[in-house]
Amino acid sequence: MNILIVEDARDQRLMLSVVLRKKGHQVLEAENGKEALTLLQQDNSVRIIISDWMMPEMDGIDLLKAVRDSEVGHYIYFILLTGKTEREAVVEGMNEGADDFLNKPVNFDELDARLNAGIRIIELENTLDERNRQISRAIETIEKDLESAATTQAELLCQPATIQNVSFDWFFQPSRILGGDMFGYQAVDGEHVGFYQLDVAGHGIPSALFSFTLNNIMSETSDRGAIVKEFTDKPPYYQVRSPENVLASLNRRFQGTPESMLYFTIAYGVINSRTGQMLMSQAGHPPPLWLQRNNNAVEPVSGGGVPVGMMPDMEYETTRVQLQPGDRLFLYSDGITECENKEGEQFGEDRLLACLQQCFSDTLKQAVERVEQQIRVWNQSDSFEDDVTFLILEWKP
Amino acid sequence: MAFETREEGSFTVILVDESRLDASIAESFKVYLFDQIESGKDKLVVDLSPVRFMDSSGLGALVAGFKKTRGSGSFTLASAQPAVKDLFDLTSMDKLFKLHDSVADAVQED
Repeated sequence: MNILIVEDARDQRLMLSVVLRKKGHQVLEAENGKEALTLLQQDNSVRIIISDWMMPEMDGIDLLKAVRDSEVGHYIYFILLTGKTEREAVVEGMNEGADDFLNKPVNFDELDARLNAGIRIIELENTLDERNRQISRAIETIEKDLESAATTQAELLCQPATIQNVSFDWFFQPSRILGGDMFGYQAVDGEHVGFYQLDVAGHGIPSALFSFTLNNIMSETSDRGAIVKEFTDKPPYYQVRSPENVLASLNRRFQGTPESMLYFTIAYGVINSRTGQMLMSQAGHPPPLWLQRNNNAVEPVSGGGVPVGMMPDMEYETTRVQLQPGDRLFLYSDGITECENKEGEQFGEDRLLACLQQCFSDTLKQAVERVEQQIRVWNQSDSFEDDVTFLILEWKP
Repeated sequence: MAFETREEGSFTVILVDESRLDASIAESFKVYLFDQIESGKDKLVVDLSPVRFMDSSGLGALVAGFKKTRGSGSFTLASAQPAVKDLFDLTSMDKLFKLHDSVADAVQED
């Protein structure tokens, strides 16, 4: 152990130095606090300081303060030497951060015992330091991985687009770095556009990974195994699957154990882009809102359903909606309606409906901004408790 | 512990003494339910009267408990507040659970 002895009395200093060297320690010597500080600046291997109290230039207590204020990078164990008449000095020394005290004249057995106590603490600190470094490295790795997963997630999201007379725009903000919300849209064939929005229960990595998988399954259209299309023997050799069958099929596929609690709510719909007829099925998802252009009305699309993955053999229902040109559909996750303000009040469906009521003359992009704005004002914070996602589509033949 | 168990006749009534049954306690609630079920209790009534808010994770814990008892007992819910009822409606939970207005109702059927 590297020990620094600070003592103005030369004979005392030498005696301590000899004893400690005999024990196998590396010893540095200083005549007073000032010299000690200079030495410490040159040599940062010192782990223990044994310092006298009364010294010219800079006394022990001032040295102690200076050591505690400096940033050495490791803990220095500080033992103060005190005379018999300096009992009350112990209190002051402890207040300034002294670790231990030795009475003068020094009893060498006691010195040994007190040094051993100091060494135990220093070793403990070394172990803790090493653990902390390991943990910091691990956290750094995890954070980097999370960031790159979040980037991957963002890349999976469809860009705002118009597909066969159906335009889409959206807002997406995961609660932490990663979210369990996902959405998508695509042409199923030459006149059908499919779209979905889903919310995997829970947050974080397990939910996000599951949402990635679901995104892959939902966006598959070409292979024979596509969930949104069934292949048949007769031309055109396929059939667009009805939404209720898509959800039932997803539900068959994702039956976890009771322990896993991994399930999701979803709204899935298909629009005939030529006629405006829309079919929609829901599984425990907040009902999509139908924004009717000709009478400025906002109406939820009916149809409940058990969340997917909760129970085997669930049946779902398909709701049929005839869109008029310019009609819109608003799909959202419960992160919007359950978003709480500082007083703990939820944003709620009524505020959402009122907000959408103001959107009729907005472009899709303006509507997205308006809803986002109102939720942010309600939330009063940069981050959200839950994923906040919504998707707006418009049919304009 | 935020969950309390008492016996009422042949039923085991589990009180969720929390105003929020959400992601923060869903896992411990599930473990609690499983412990009850694994210790041989098979007629469970979950008393939700203190719960003002429940999210998908809370619902997940209830469903996990329900699945665990399936085939060998009963698992019903009692005294859900309006916001919790809304979540049950939205997720068609009436297809899975029996929802009783009160614990007294829940422990009467046999």
